[in-house]
Amino acid sequence: MTLPSLVETAGPSSPRVRASLRGTEVVLAGLALAAFVVLAVTTGGNLVEPATLRAVFQFLAVPMVIGLSQMVVLAVGQMNLSVGVLTGLTAVAAAALMADRGWPAWLAVLAALVLGLVVGLANGLLVVLTRINGFIITLATMTIISGVRYGINGTGTYQGYSDGLVSLGRASVLGIPTVFLAAVVVAVLVWLFFARAVRGRQLLASGGNPLAARLSGISNDTSLVIAHALSGLLAGVAGVLVLALSGSVNASIGDDLLLPSFAAPIIGGVALAGGVVSVLGTCLAAFIVRLVDVAQAQYNINPRWVDLVVGAVVLGAVLLSQKRVGRGGT
Amino acid sequence: MRLIATDLVKVFPGVRALDGVTIDLRPGTVHALLGENGAGKSTLIKILTGVHKPDGGTLRLVPDGWQAPGDAAGGAGGRELNFGGPADAQLAGIGVVHQERNLVPAFSVAENIALQRMPRSRGLVDRAAVRRLAQGCLAELEVELDLDRPVAELSVAQMQLVEVAKALATDSRLLLLDEPTSSLTSEESDHLYAVVRRLRDQGRIVVLVSHKLEEVFAVADTVTVLRDGRSVARGLALGDLTRSQVVDLMVGRAHADIELGARSVDPRATPALELEAVSTAGGHRDVSLVVRPGEILGLYGLVGAGRSELARAVLGLDTITSGRLLVGGRPVTIGSVGQALREHRIGYVTENRKEEGIFLEQTVSRNVAVTVWDRLARWGVVRDRSEDTVLARYVDRLGIRLSGPRQLAGQLSGGNQQKVSLAKWLAADCAVLIIDEPTVGIDVRTKAAFHQLIAELAEGGLAILLISSDLPEVVTLADRIAVMRDHQLVGEVDNDHHYTTMSGRVIRLVHGESPESGAAEAGASETGAPRPGVPAA
Repeated sequence: MTLPSLVETAGPSSPRVRASLRGTEVVLAGLALAAFVVLAVTTGGNLVEPATLRAVFQFLAVPMVIGLSQMVVLAVGQMNLSVGVLTGLTAVAAAALMADRGWPAWLAVLAALVLGLVVGLANGLLVVLTRINGFIITLATMTIISGVRYGINGTGTYQGYSDGLVSLGRASVLGIPTVFLAAVVVAVLVWLFFARAVRGRQLLASGGNPLAARLSGISNDTSLVIAHALSGLLAGVAGVLVLALSGSVNASIGDDLLLPSFAAPIIGGVALAGGVVSVLGTCLAAFIVRLVDVAQAQYNINPRWVDLVVGAVVLGAVLLSQKRVGRGGT
Repeated sequence: MRLIATDLVKVFPGVRALDGVTIDLRPGTVHALLGENGAGKSTLIKILTGVHKPDGGTLRLVPDGWQAPGDAAGGAGGRELNFGGPADAQLAGIGVVHQERNLVPAFSVAENIALQRMPRSRGLVDRAAVRRLAQGCLAELEVELDLDRPVAELSVAQMQLVEVAKALATDSRLLLLDEPTSSLTSEESDHLYAVVRRLRDQGRIVVLVSHKLEEVFAVADTVTVLRDGRSVARGLALGDLTRSQVVDLMVGRAHADIELGARSVDPRATPALELEAVSTAGGHRDVSLVVRPGEILGLYGLVGAGRSELARAVLGLDTITSGRLLVGGRPVTIGSVGQALREHRIGYVTENRKEEGIFLEQTVSRNVAVTVWDRLARWGVVRDRSEDTVLARYVDRLGIRLSGPRQLAGQLSGGNQQKVSLAKWLAADCAVLIIDEPTVGIDVRTKAAFHQLIAELAEGGLAILLISSDLPEVVTLADRIAVMRDHQLVGEVDNDHHYTTMSGRVIRLVHGESPESGAAEAGASETGAPRPGVPAA
């Protein structure tokens, strides 16, 4: 026997589902397009010159990946303040391995990724084992990593560590910069992880409602460790992109990445409390922030205004998302 | 002052929480407010303290010395109260000590007592005045406490006294104490009773809400009993009543006896879940119970008796310190919910569906499939469509009302969320389901459908441990009823599905009486013996 079914109407299968999130993505896409067109027109077409265009996307790669790196910890309701300096550490360490130890580029790249993963794992284990807030843990590890960066080669700069890697990093395929392609591939993988993988779902469950996750047989501790490890790995990817793109690295790399790492996911509609992610939103937001940079360069604006604009946009995005949550709540 | 509430009515969506409550609170008395879960006590307290506005009826305040012409309860007099919020009730001199603490742990005793009325001078807190105020309140209670000590360092009993002093600090003439001794030792309780009597002798009104009959008879002078949102006994003198009579008042008229799905449980079948003299870190002592396949064991008790905590210990969320846990006849140790689910097929439908049962910002499909992701996955990857298939099995069966499988769970109604959280465990193919307060906050129609469903699940062979504070629900569904009090089982009775007899037995157990005297008593009342104080219905 079945219960009296109270189904009023079995509506279409998926509309309005993540309506609010989709909405953010649509708005961001529109905003990005509009900003791009306005910039292109007001700079007299300068923006769509092949060289300019290439630079726009080349330097979008690192903000995209670093934003995703922050996004995966936000997914479980955590923060990772060490993403920026970890990017710098992995880049400098890999450069040192190539320049000072003569490692081949592929091995040094692998080492950078493993280093990122290990440091992220350490962050996660510290959070789980000490039960100290992840904000505090990563604040501490950020400071430690920052020091270690300078321990490798002081303030010295590495150059010419690998001509092959740098020429690959500056190359284009079908007019698209390779580093940007790499970032897109990473974004697709992260998207697949959250959309399809059991682990990804468990991360979102732990972030969205840890109590319910635990009572559903999910280990929240495992989710936290995996999120931090993944975040570290993505910071390692960002480090490799820096290495391949710039051709010269020093210990100051990553100092200016912390705000962008938060800006992209927050503007992109990722919930600070955890449980909701948007890979597309994060990437679009990184693009918009990149356009602010481009505008500054094109119009010769005082760089200070860039931080002001980005900061204001972050604040606005959080306010908007709060309003949205207030409206959507039941 | 004297407070008279007349014919109070309060309606919530789907529930008539108060349906004509009259209570007359006279100065210099300790007035007990009794009633089973859901009788309307909480709602009445909330109206008296200005949290809720009544939908009907009046609250009147009669100043001291006022002589009403004729019978005061019916006569006019005093001033009608219309509370806009809790602050108004406070101004009218009504103070409340809630069951849960409302103190700031890091503040000192003095600061906590003066919190609602911080004395100020020139915009700053006047520390000397704060101490004077606190000292005065404690002196009235004849209690000595270090004024400068942070509240966090006090014992539970001392915090309780600080709460009472805090209520006095706002010049409360009427004090509501909600289960004031639920976490006190008997010695601490005696001390509190002495304070209560002192307050009464000062001419204040003390309203005592308590589930402990011995306590009520020890300190209260008069009693009002609520049942189904009505006051069935209004200010009777406790000296004229026996405990049995009070229990009869709470139980009241016979409910319609509903028996769902006559089940035949084989008493020799291997128990699906068995607890043997289990004690836990959470304070349970020597709890033994058995649930067989196809059986519903009702676990009844008051809020705070330790029922949900027992479930958590079974699931490995709390430590079992001694005793044995057997699943399907084999002794097991369970370390996590994941293990309970995957290795022993035990599921737990939580009481707080919003806080613990549902992922609000995830799709309904995902919410249901969360327990079976491992089974759906290939190479660690799950497809949304396979989750939809899992959900589809339960939409009609449970009558889940949704616009589509990818709708967000947060957009569903409370009843539908509860169904989703149940579907999750059905999907996991459990052998044992622990269902905790399944119908709290659910409308009557959905509640009936839920009961039907739970009965069907048992008929299908599931062993169900039903934790509920809703006595009619337990009597409707359970095969046997175990009663828990203060983290111990105080008795177990076979359910004959007759509400009048069963509720009498169970309530006697809850209140520390023998169920058998209750059976005799209820038997007598069925033969037509009059019950004192009960208006003919």
